[in-house]
Amino acid sequence: MKRITKMMVSTLLVASLAVGLSACGNSSGTNSSSGTNNGTAPKAEKVTLSFWGISTAEPERSELEKIIKEWNDNNPDIQIEYSGTENNAYKTKIKTAIAAGEAPDIMYSWTGGFAQPFVEAGKILSLDEYLTDETKDQMLPGALDNITYDGKVYGITYGQMAGALYVNTELFDQYQVKIPTTFSELMTAVDTFNQNGVKPMITGMKDLWPGMWIYDMIALRESGSQLSLDALNGKASFTDPAFVNAADKIQQLVNAGAFGNGVLGMTQDEAEAEFNQGKVAMLFGGNWMASKMEADSSMVKGKIKAVRFPASEDGKGDPTEYVGGGSDAMLVSADTKYKEQAVKAATYLAKAQAEQGYLSGINLPTWKYDSLDQSQINPLAKEIMDNIITGAAGSVPVWDIYLNGADAKTHQDLVAEVFANQITPEQFGAQMQDKVNGN
Amino acid sequence: MQNLLGDKKAIFLFVFPTFLVFTVIIILPIFFSGYYSLLEWDGFSNGKFIGLGNYVDLFVNNTDGFTKGVKNSIVLAIVSVGIQLPISLLLALILARGVKFEKLYRTVYFIPVIISTVVIGQLWMKIYHPNYGMLNIILNKIGLGFLANEWIGNTQTALGAVFVALLWQYVGYHMLLMYASAKSISTEIYEAAKIDGANEPTLALKITIPLMKPILRVCVVFSVIGSFKAFDLIYVLTNGGPLHATEVPTTIMYTSIFAKYQYGYGSAMAIFIIVECLVATVIIQRMFGKDPVN
Repeated sequence: MKRITKMMVSTLLVASLAVGLSACGNSSGTNSSSGTNNGTAPKAEKVTLSFWGISTAEPERSELEKIIKEWNDNNPDIQIEYSGTENNAYKTKIKTAIAAGEAPDIMYSWTGGFAQPFVEAGKILSLDEYLTDETKDQMLPGALDNITYDGKVYGITYGQMAGALYVNTELFDQYQVKIPTTFSELMTAVDTFNQNGVKPMITGMKDLWPGMWIYDMIALRESGSQLSLDALNGKASFTDPAFVNAADKIQQLVNAGAFGNGVLGMTQDEAEAEFNQGKVAMLFGGNWMASKMEADSSMVKGKIKAVRFPASEDGKGDPTEYVGGGSDAMLVSADTKYKEQAVKAATYLAKAQAEQGYLSGINLPTWKYDSLDQSQINPLAKEIMDNIITGAAGSVPVWDIYLNGADAKTHQDLVAEVFANQITPEQFGAQMQDKVNGN
Repeated sequence: MQNLLGDKKAIFLFVFPTFLVFTVIIILPIFFSGYYSLLEWDGFSNGKFIGLGNYVDLFVNNTDGFTKGVKNSIVLAIVSVGIQLPISLLLALILARGVKFEKLYRTVYFIPVIISTVVIGQLWMKIYHPNYGMLNIILNKIGLGFLANEWIGNTQTALGAVFVALLWQYVGYHMLLMYASAKSISTEIYEAAKIDGANEPTLALKITIPLMKPILRVCVVFSVIGSFKAFDLIYVLTNGGPLHATEVPTTIMYTSIFAKYQYGYGSAMAIFIIVECLVATVIIQRMFGKDPVN
């Protein structure tokens, strides 16, 4: 019996180790294998390019498949083979694959800090010699800014994000509340809704990033895009009054009950669901949330307006600036055997997805969209494009995209602590400076 | 048979394939991890050797609250052994003594073990939901509305809420092990004891439980090590939040490697978990002492 017990125990231990280590074990032999998984020589007639993305849910998946099918039909020599992985799992998968030297020819990536380690490790193809001016002319100004590192372009963006304040006009009309254009008006609106038993705002802080979006937006109003970018680049300090004031404004909102009693327990999906049931007056979030609000199942369809976040009376920021910027990009692996074809296909994919994403309300385009049938566009997405992005003085990416992995997480955590009133605005500024810019 | 066991070639033939697989997929990765844990490495570029720097960060500088994670997992181990196992034992003893619908109960208790952890996570998220969660609704209905809470969103209650779900998940598993062991005890012993005038509690305490000692030891080891490497349900329910209240070593490790690109640092945590599990196993083996018979 004792031996059996021992064996069982050791088997169990072994299993425990395997679980703990499977991730770490994968990465040996970093440079051994080539980036493509087909054996044909570069000169061969038919080329198959592997392409990894995150479109797994409908309608994105079938839309993307349509785009790929069109390419494959028109280019019998260059075939694209798509493999989709769910958003969060993709983050793990692409990192592991790149570390193991098994990246696909073309891959989806977020811009900014997410792609930076891949670029720095030399795993991503620099596109400067492939991108023609003709191609660049079809993109909107600044489309490639967030995927440019050390002056070199490493990807082609297709979708950009913009933060918008979604307001439920029905509730605003019912309680005769003015849609806020300044922070004090926002506080008034919060108070009025609270007095009438309506939840003023909602955010999915369990996912951390939704609250961070609100903070980054207020910080932009307080500081202006230049100071925000300077601080993110380490040229200015997060202890600047602008960033401290922004944290203070978050706590003013929390303490006024803008987000209800508890803010930390809800995921963004749950928060959006509640908003789409028409129970909440305001939601600050990304443009992609518009597609669900305008869906047929939504109870607030046609009642939502997307407006700029209220200006700060004492802030230095231009009230037209927004958080967002280019964020979805197509990258080409540096190890691919078919560089030219891959860049061509990636360019096509980016352009086609920019148009398709705008039409369906998933994405705001980074490519010029004049040729699209304007009546087909999701009305809220168009509102964001017209009211928030057009004529804006500037934009700053949400910080977790701009900052690197560890710093991004630190920022999210610190904002969550501000929301939970666990640290003071001054402590927030000091800790941001210490942990993000300190080393 | 004797011939076969004495044949060196046969032993080699049978043992070597397993040994090879074991070495390649278990032993080697451990050594790799051990090496990575000495690097400052993001998983992509070239690592920089920093000796024990990662371990210093973990325990001396306590950069990411790792010691708190370890403390949480130890608390989990203690409540597992102190609460989960006694419940399992009680259920096993009752079932093994023969009650009506014995097989039905056995199956029902085992169901949580079969369900995917993600489903269990979703289930408990719905139970704990502040607005429409079952727990809050029941509390409101029975007049205890003041106790209603944002269970996994509140830093005070999140850890407890997650532990309840974790304990619930594996009660059936330990029950089944203990049940099988109790069932295998010869009925003659019980008959003899009954003739001597022993009642049910005495039978359980003096006969069943002592004879179940080997399997109880296995359960304790499973329970403790399972607590040290608990990950999936916590990841689904809270992902270590809110504000790191439910962080355990594995969730910190996951975040470090996959969200912060700290491969070397995460490997140091993996090595710590391995050592922790080994030490715990040895200690538990010692505590139980030698087996009575065999």
